[in-house]
Amino acid sequence: MKTWMKAAATASAMAVGIALAAPALAQDGSIYIPNLSYRTGPFAATGTPLMNGQRDYITLLNERDGGLNGAKLVYDECETGYNTEKGVECYEKTKANAVVTQPWSTGITLQVLPKSNVDEIPILAPGYGFSAMADGKVFQWAFNPPSSYWDGASMILNHISDNDLSSLSGKKIALLHLDHPFGKEPIPLLEKLAAEHGFTLLPIPVGLTEMQNQSAQWLQIRRERPDFVVMWGWGAMNAGALTEAAKTKYPMDQFVGIWWSGHDGDLKLIGDQGKGYRSISWSVPNSESALMQDIKRHVVDAGKSHINQAEGEFDSVFYQRGVMISVILVEGIRAAQEEFDTQTPDAVQVRWGLENIKLDEARLKELGAEGMLVPFSTSCADHTGHGGGWMLEWDGSKFVKVSDIIQPDRSAIEPLEEEKAREYAEANAPWPVNEECEM
Amino acid sequence: MLYRTAGQFKTSYKADHALFPVRQDALLLGFILLLAFVVFPLTASEFTFRALLIPVLIYSLAALGLNILTGYAGQLSLGTGAFMGVGAYACYKLLTIFPEMNIVIAIAMSGFFSAAVGVLFGLPSLRIKGFYLAIATLAAQFFLVWLFQKWAWLYNYNASGAIQVPNIDMFGITVAGPRATAMTQYYFVLGVVSVITLFAINITRGRIGRMWKAVRDMDIAAELVGINLMRAKLTAFFVSSYIVGVSGALFVFLWRGAAEANLFDIPLSFRVLFIAIIGGLGSILGNYLGAILIVALPVIISTVPATFGIPVDSAMVEHLNVMIVGALIITFLIVEPHGLARFWAVIREKLILWPFPH
Repeated sequence: MKTWMKAAATASAMAVGIALAAPALAQDGSIYIPNLSYRTGPFAATGTPLMNGQRDYITLLNERDGGLNGAKLVYDECETGYNTEKGVECYEKTKANAVVTQPWSTGITLQVLPKSNVDEIPILAPGYGFSAMADGKVFQWAFNPPSSYWDGASMILNHISDNDLSSLSGKKIALLHLDHPFGKEPIPLLEKLAAEHGFTLLPIPVGLTEMQNQSAQWLQIRRERPDFVVMWGWGAMNAGALTEAAKTKYPMDQFVGIWWSGHDGDLKLIGDQGKGYRSISWSVPNSESALMQDIKRHVVDAGKSHINQAEGEFDSVFYQRGVMISVILVEGIRAAQEEFDTQTPDAVQVRWGLENIKLDEARLKELGAEGMLVPFSTSCADHTGHGGGWMLEWDGSKFVKVSDIIQPDRSAIEPLEEEKAREYAEANAPWPVNEECEM
Repeated sequence: MLYRTAGQFKTSYKADHALFPVRQDALLLGFILLLAFVVFPLTASEFTFRALLIPVLIYSLAALGLNILTGYAGQLSLGTGAFMGVGAYACYKLLTIFPEMNIVIAIAMSGFFSAAVGVLFGLPSLRIKGFYLAIATLAAQFFLVWLFQKWAWLYNYNASGAIQVPNIDMFGITVAGPRATAMTQYYFVLGVVSVITLFAINITRGRIGRMWKAVRDMDIAAELVGINLMRAKLTAFFVSSYIVGVSGALFVFLWRGAAEANLFDIPLSFRVLFIAIIGGLGSILGNYLGAILIVALPVIISTVPATFGIPVDSAMVEHLNVMIVGALIITFLIVEPHGLARFWAVIREKLILWPFPH
């Protein structure tokens, strides 16, 4: 009993002492960039390569160039397991010294979004989050370059209809989506387009708990015989859907996914049976590019990476997309460094930097990443950049690029973005709006 | 010495049944309240408020609700998470339909919605007991979470399917929403939790509490001595679900700021159940001890190695956390099945005798 009590007393004294001390993280002369990662939980299969890619690009800059213009980049992960509750805890824990926050889940993004105006930390959510975040006048602190989910939905429709949406008239398109904020994102736009162009939209939700057993959903698909199945899937759901599609012999060339549904690992499970499956993407893997070769030399071969080389993770879409996400972030920080003539820009300055990213083809070539990312540039009013995307197709063993850059139908999306952004601002009043778009 | 009871005579029934028969208990409670109301707010950082203090209070309240049902009235329930959800969604609808409503009133009223749902799902308890009842409440868990997802009216047809807390002012101070400061929210939660705890202590000590305990210990005997089983069980469901509903409203409005239906799924129910079990079933104090352990442990595991300069991967921390919590639950159930509250009771008894062993 006595030892028990002593141990308990020491432990609680330690706990209180540590808890009350504010977490000290970044040193002087360095830039602290936290990442709310998820290497555990049901989405770990897709999260791990992305985090590895993000981490390795930062490691490359620190190893090869000694940081960014002399400032060391401190990359730090806080594990959320894609759990919104843990995500908020991680956000609170890392925000003190951070110049940016990367919430890594549409749910966590939605939680952090209202706090951004108060805490004044830019949210970087590349290719995810709330699509209306593109409106930089309303969402001054949120960024989702290079393309939003609504852009993605529009690109998929443009591609499957050969840029003539009226040809979809009378057809039936099923939206197989995760029943979570992420999966519901494209619905408002797709509903609008369905009404305009006369196709039927059939949303088929997949609950978080039934991700790996989608027999009910695929039974419905078999019964309804849609002309296309568009998938908004993630993590274990992709593998479930693809194996079920292969089992029910659904024609793969009528099955198209969003960029998070194009994970090599999921398709390797079905191999040849997945031939013809397409996924829209704003990044294309290219292991031969100068940038990837540098990463191979300075990070992977030096043993500083966490990737699973035996599984071919280095060549995968998601790992190299993770690299591209860090490229976007670093370009924003670099822009801030140059504009404000400082080595260590603060969060407010990095926000300016993220509003002035110019990743055109010339700049990508300079970075050694030509053709790996859609060229785009952001501005104060446009926080997404709307770079478009390529269609990738599974050839039985890997994803190959099968289209030129596809552009979203912005004229259809813009009014919806404005409307939803205004609705959000009204629901969260008082919400500061930056109409003149000044810093 | 510290807990000397000599000289504290009780000369009336009233004194014998006082809230604190031993003076030192009152002093200790006063000290804890001083810590909670004055010392913590002065010293805590924002991270401490949001990651430790506020969630500990809210989880204790949820566990208190469950404990009244399971620990005092002996009715097993696995639907706590869903009942928290009912409170949260009710509060959301009340505040969006009547934006002028005071948030205290909205939270107090939202408890009644979950109490009504709780009583409805408590009806089977009149016929079934134990594990069978647990499965019946599990049905509530599945059904309600499904309802939160499917009934778009509940989340105002929001495209993302999530409920978002707007900025809410009370007497000129923002208490909920993104603009509220952590300290205001802490005081708000602390106030609500204190009031409900006082209420819970008194109701469990009084006539109704004794009725519940009789039903828990042996329902046939209780019925024979004239206790109305139906009334006893349904009041337990009512009071329990009310408290759980209030904690759900606090959970979303004073802490999380937004919520999706999935949040109220089984893992939340289990979490609250673990808190109640580790803290000690049938005790009020146990809920607080259990919540401190379960909520604080992950935070400590993720910060301690870092402060000593040991690099641990954040993913590793997460795995460690699951393993340690699991091991702790097993250890507690073997070493002290009555939970942390019983630990404190043993320590207190020893202190009363100290320094003389008997």
